[in-house]
Amino acid sequence: MSKTFKIGGVHPHDSKFSRNCAIEVLPLPQTVYISMAQHLGAPAVPCVAVGDKVKAGQVIAEPAPRALSAYVHSSVSGTVKSIGPRKDIAGNNQNHIEILVEGDEWAEGIDLSTDLVTTIPTDRAEVLKKIQMGGVVGLGGATFPAHVKLNPPAGSKAECLILNGAECEPFLTSDNRIMIERSKEIVVGAAIMQMVLGGCPCVIGIEENKPEAIAAMNKAVSELGYPGISVMVLMKKYPQGGEKQLINAVMGREVGSGALPISAGAVVQNVATSLAVYEAVQKNKPLVTNTMTITGDCLPVEKQHNYLFRIGMPLSWIAEYAGGVPEGAAKVVSGGPMMGRAISNLDACTVKGSSSLLYLSEKTTKRAAQSNCIRCGKCAEACPMGLEPFLLNKLAKNGMMDELEANAVQDCISCGCCQFSCPACIPLLDTINIAKGQVLGILRARAAAAKAAAEAAKASQK
Amino acid sequence: MNKLLVSPSPHVHTSVSTQSLMRDVVIAMLPAALVSVLFYGWSEILILAVSVISCVGLEYLISKFLLKRPATICDLSAVVTGVLLALNVPPTCPWWVIVIGAIFAIGVAKMTFGGLGQNMFNPAIAGRVFLLVSFPTYMTDWTVPAGFIHATDAVSGATLLGAYAEGGVEAIKGINYLQTLFFNIGGSAGEISACALLVGFVYLLVRKVIRPHITLSIWGTVAVLALIFWAINPAKYPDPIFALLTGGVLLGSIFMATDYVTSPMSAKGGIIFGVGIGLLTVLIRYFGSYPEGVSFAILIMNATVPLINKYCHQKKYGRK
Amino acid sequence: MTSAIIWTIVILTVLGVVLAMVLFLVAKKFKVEEDPRIDEVEKVMPGANCGGCGFAGCRAFAQSCVEAGNLDKNFCPVGGNDTMKKVAAVLGIEAVAKAPMVAVVRCNGTCQNRPTTNEYDGLKSCRVKASLYSGDTGCAFGCLGCGDCVAACQFGAISMNPETGLPVVDEEKCTACGKCAAACPKQVIEIRLKGPRNMRLYVSCINKDKGPVAKKACAAACIGCGICAKTCTHGAITVENNVAYIDPAKCKLCRECEAMCPTEAIHAVNFPKPLDKDAVKARIAERNKKAKEAAAAAAEAAKAAAPAAPEKKEEPKNE
Repeated sequence: MSKTFKIGGVHPHDSKFSRNCAIEVLPLPQTVYISMAQHLGAPAVPCVAVGDKVKAGQVIAEPAPRALSAYVHSSVSGTVKSIGPRKDIAGNNQNHIEILVEGDEWAEGIDLSTDLVTTIPTDRAEVLKKIQMGGVVGLGGATFPAHVKLNPPAGSKAECLILNGAECEPFLTSDNRIMIERSKEIVVGAAIMQMVLGGCPCVIGIEENKPEAIAAMNKAVSELGYPGISVMVLMKKYPQGGEKQLINAVMGREVGSGALPISAGAVVQNVATSLAVYEAVQKNKPLVTNTMTITGDCLPVEKQHNYLFRIGMPLSWIAEYAGGVPEGAAKVVSGGPMMGRAISNLDACTVKGSSSLLYLSEKTTKRAAQSNCIRCGKCAEACPMGLEPFLLNKLAKNGMMDELEANAVQDCISCGCCQFSCPACIPLLDTINIAKGQVLGILRARAAAAKAAAEAAKASQK
Repeated sequence: MNKLLVSPSPHVHTSVSTQSLMRDVVIAMLPAALVSVLFYGWSEILILAVSVISCVGLEYLISKFLLKRPATICDLSAVVTGVLLALNVPPTCPWWVIVIGAIFAIGVAKMTFGGLGQNMFNPAIAGRVFLLVSFPTYMTDWTVPAGFIHATDAVSGATLLGAYAEGGVEAIKGINYLQTLFFNIGGSAGEISACALLVGFVYLLVRKVIRPHITLSIWGTVAVLALIFWAINPAKYPDPIFALLTGGVLLGSIFMATDYVTSPMSAKGGIIFGVGIGLLTVLIRYFGSYPEGVSFAILIMNATVPLINKYCHQKKYGRK
Repeated sequence: MTSAIIWTIVILTVLGVVLAMVLFLVAKKFKVEEDPRIDEVEKVMPGANCGGCGFAGCRAFAQSCVEAGNLDKNFCPVGGNDTMKKVAAVLGIEAVAKAPMVAVVRCNGTCQNRPTTNEYDGLKSCRVKASLYSGDTGCAFGCLGCGDCVAACQFGAISMNPETGLPVVDEEKCTACGKCAAACPKQVIEIRLKGPRNMRLYVSCINKDKGPVAKKACAAACIGCGICAKTCTHGAITVENNVAYIDPAKCKLCRECEAMCPTEAIHAVNFPKPLDKDAVKARIAERNKKAKEAAAAAAEAAKAAAPAAPEKKEEPKNE
């Protein structure tokens, strides 16, 4: 019996049509636009000027000072044409660096060969530095800078590194493909992260609907023979790949409300992040490429692809290369159908965390008219955090902040299970997300006030 | 190309809808309805038709002309109420009594509160109880009309529960439980065949329309209480199997207590709700003046649902 | 039979008297002493309990007024100056009159001016829409059209115009309580001075994009060209972040900016006569010509006075 998390969850059809499409390398476009906001935290600050010649893998933006941020590298060689605002997939302006592509020359010191480097370095600080300089961020969706997550604060100890290969979102197959095609690199990356975290065991969690990936990863683990790495088969259930759910499934523990996973002794990294760590540490290659799936329910299987893309490629260009936006597509989503973001601007560019171009037909995605809540409780049954979305929805509509906080709206992980399962098609998550933002704001303000009061008390004591 | 749709996630939706859930409930009631038609014949067909048509028609008229908003009959909830009401009345019930029941069920118990999802009491039960207290003669006339198959010689008589209430344990001696499981002539249409009801129950569980908590806790409570009474005084009280298989326990626990709108949301709440119904049912049967208490028990427990919902929550992740 | 009736009457009467006594005593014992002026102030309040003043309701407002003893920080936008005069009378102080305000929708992105580029399929709420993306038009700043302001208004003063897809403020009903402005996630609505005889000029756009981008998204966008600021002789217009703003305190309602605006982004309301654009334009041209001549003359004079001095730029600002 494969393992899974205990509370809630839903079973959308997994629709992994592109599971057997081998990863293809995309050619280079004429121009790339590299966003400065590709990670959680403050946007990076450009450190090149218009007219500069850059090489692929060269740093073009540095982390914003004194803030959570990350390095950004050029993904191509060429000339910087402009630096300025450009619209992202949601139509909001972000600072972008526009680079005209000339040839494909990589910066010095980057190992482009496919030889596997299996020797694990032992200098922890050096490795962390390399991960940071490589601009590695979490590729599971949140794009949290990896070096921060791999460096737990003093006093907390990682007891288990969990590699997230669940890929529980329907349609997406990029993680599945890299686990099949680049399994050894992923395992070496895991071993590196194990070393950084002080030698804790590592569990690679994969959902049971990916038997080829499970076999490939098992083979890589046994062939490479690093100690303490194992593959765990997980049940196919959404959101198995949610950080908190994965910790529950693998370790049987729960992360406290408002706490970080490290408080439960866990560090979770995506398999794609592990691959990026391998390349940054062993090959000196910064994070400028990633794998994305071109898929959808209105796209014939022969037109579906898994592409190795470089950051900054316009989505419209990729769509065109893959054969254009299909006729029946009503919505294009970046990411999976449960948590991905609908794209309003196809001229936006790929970022580090891009994982798909998902074409959904009107029949699949158009929301049906909402009707009365019939109090069936299916939303509460589905919620993997054990919340009661029907109640939160009602409280949010009436602006009852205290009750929302008491009913733990701030614990919501926005997985969408409630809205997915609502037979009355009530847009529960739309309302709850807003309420969650408001309550989190109240909590932050309260924490800041408490901190200020404590400091004032300290000062007056002196 | 058309303009792209943009919305917050999730971008896909389950195929389950209010309509499909209600359709499943209707399908689950079909075996019981079929059995009742077989045994009670044309009069039962008339009852079913009158009940469903008047429930659906009333909901349409009320939402269209009184509330002035789009009619919600497509969600099939009025059909469910109609079939349930038909299964809850004796086969000899005149058609106008059923229409009055439908008016009360849909007009008062459902639409007054704002329609589907807003009502406090299960409309079908409210309708049945209203008829029971208003037209006791019609509602307890257990004459068996001519059916399509003739199972027994009995042409009139009380229900088994009625017989027990009248004559005590002596009156029900020698009944064949195996036969009761399949058909049990006398009683309202929905009470004929335990087997047909159980088939419906299994269907609802398999289709994940309901969770078993409420139904099982009702059965458990009724069985345990009946066992206790029977153990204390077998000469006065019937055995637990009799308590479970007769009257409206099965019909009520499977189709009426599990109504989404009027039952608690959480599993814990469902168990409390079920135990309450079981308890009240047995108390009314053994100590009340009515031979059957399931509908009253459900109606009373319906009123406690907001309170149960307030205090029963499921376990939250990462919290005690 | 008779005795039963008598007994019933007696018992019920006694019960009533006893309960009345209990109620009376409890009310006496637990009476909360309050400044009687709070009640008096509350009586003169509009009683809408809208919260536009920043308090939880009219009573909370009254309490605050009485406790503070002055009205410096308290103003009821609903009742306006009349109510505040009454409140001041209760408190025995002088009320300072405030100029009347009104909610102004600073967006003219009608369906014609601002074509949609995608179709929004989420919850019909500006707040949800704004948190998701820039909106279903090319403009990331303007009205989202889901009517959060309409829902926020307790006076029924805002409604959506189905033709333009924009909210319309009913000036008669608007109390300038500011609920709509707070509800708008794009800050499209401004609480603005109502102006003399309700006449006012305002820039009906807040698009901060550069001119061409803004213009492409919406035909009625302010493109930040600055012509209005140059035209204004009262220093009332500033252009910041590619968008102009008219300071209502400085504006003299001369409507010259309105005539000069190339995109008709400047709106004038409640003026008795329609604007004769050409006449105003001619007037401005004439004035500019004179100014130029005067400047040239001044430069000539300066040159003649100090031929040795290096060229000094002198701009005659005030004529």
